[in-house]
Amino acid sequence: MKKLFALLLAGMMILSLAACGAKKEEPAADSDTAYVKANGKIVVGITDFAPMDYKEEGSDEWIGFDADMAKLFAEYLGVDVEFIEINWDNKAMELETKAIDAVWNGMTLTEEVMKLMGTSEAYCNNGQVVVVNSAVADQYQTAESLSELSFAVENGSAGAEQLDALGLEYTALQTQANALMEVAAGASDACVIDLLMAGAMIGEGTSYPELTYTVQLNSEEYGVGFRVGSDLVDSFNAFWKDAYKDGTVMEVATTYGVQESIIAK
Amino acid sequence: MFWDVTLTLLEGFGGTMKLFVLTLIFALPLGLIISFGSMSRFTPLRWLTQTVVWIVRGSPLLLQILIVYYGPGLMFGLPLLPRFTAALLTFVINYACYFSEIYRGGIQSIPRGQYEAGEVLGMTRSQIFFKVTLLQVIKRIVPPMGNEFITLVKDTALVRVIAVYEIIWMGESFIKKGLIWPLFYTGVFYLVFNGLLTILFGRLEKKLDYFR
Repeated sequence: MKKLFALLLAGMMILSLAACGAKKEEPAADSDTAYVKANGKIVVGITDFAPMDYKEEGSDEWIGFDADMAKLFAEYLGVDVEFIEINWDNKAMELETKAIDAVWNGMTLTEEVMKLMGTSEAYCNNGQVVVVNSAVADQYQTAESLSELSFAVENGSAGAEQLDALGLEYTALQTQANALMEVAAGASDACVIDLLMAGAMIGEGTSYPELTYTVQLNSEEYGVGFRVGSDLVDSFNAFWKDAYKDGTVMEVATTYGVQESIIAK
Repeated sequence: MFWDVTLTLLEGFGGTMKLFVLTLIFALPLGLIISFGSMSRFTPLRWLTQTVVWIVRGSPLLLQILIVYYGPGLMFGLPLLPRFTAALLTFVINYACYFSEIYRGGIQSIPRGQYEAGEVLGMTRSQIFFKVTLLQVIKRIVPPMGNEFITLVKDTALVRVIAVYEIIWMGESFIKKGLIWPLFYTGVFYLVFNGLLTILFGRLEKKLDYFR
């Protein structure tokens, strides 16, 4: 009796292992657009990133330039939109495993991103800027002067790439906001973040009035990421062109103060 | 402001608690089953269980969470489990393995003579286990269990890697609004809760004192 039970248990364990290994027979992903339409919703992976994707105090709705445009894109596809706050480090895996259908969150089109995702045409200009305490800002107005600073930067971000290119050491953190906190707390002398974010989050009238930005290290562009080879990329590009022509894009951009960065189509 | 932050963090702590309680509900009995497996006289089963326990205890929980959530989709193109379910599954398996070793330690610490005495009295093995051994085992495993419970409360913070929202995630979200102190304030919630657990385990130990 006991042995039988033991055998049964062992059998179950092996079976469950085998079940893990079984491959599901599925034709290679054909149309991503069809997949999204069948689901009735497009799942957009975001982080809390003003002014692109954020929530107003006391509200549960995601707004921002990217969030509002994502809603319009969903409407264009005839589906609902669902926003999911993801861990930014895992964005490629989230897409690949269909946990989300798009990464739409002020994402810089780096070589790495374009390799891992099917990316849209660029829609917004951005740059990486150096943020320091305003008391010392005048000493660090050139790229050459930066070598004596200790840096904080978001892990794997475009800012980290710039610092790598300059051969500067840095501490890698989970988010750009964490990098800002490092500087505010005095743990690092400076951080490198997106120009758009710096414009919205530091300086007078913001939460970090004592910080300011100095050198712009590069210029770059934002795009939306889909799965590799996804036909949603074409849908998106067509949608964006129309939305730009009829003025919708600029209208939404003006609401969130990013109109100067929008790329003309 | 302070009140608003507290409320938001409490909401996040709700997520932490949900994971904590559900993990215990499933992992405590599962651990006992696994401990029987690793004490079994049927060698293949014992060997298999010990291998599973080795893998689970020998690799980082953070990695296990990532594998359970993303693994099926990345390797086999299968649809993913819901985020919370994947996190819970990982925690249940992980903690059941730790619990199983604590159970095993407890069960094997009962002197051989008690089993022999039971057999002499004509009791079956399961009668001996439930009527003689079990309560003594419970008394002996209370301190190491207390350790694991407290570790579990803190380990729940790891699930934010797959975007399951718990109290640290909520605390960090305030940083983006320029508030740094809520992240550190989350520590108070852990401390208070673990304080309660400590008191609870202390009482339990006292109650079980009549064995000696």
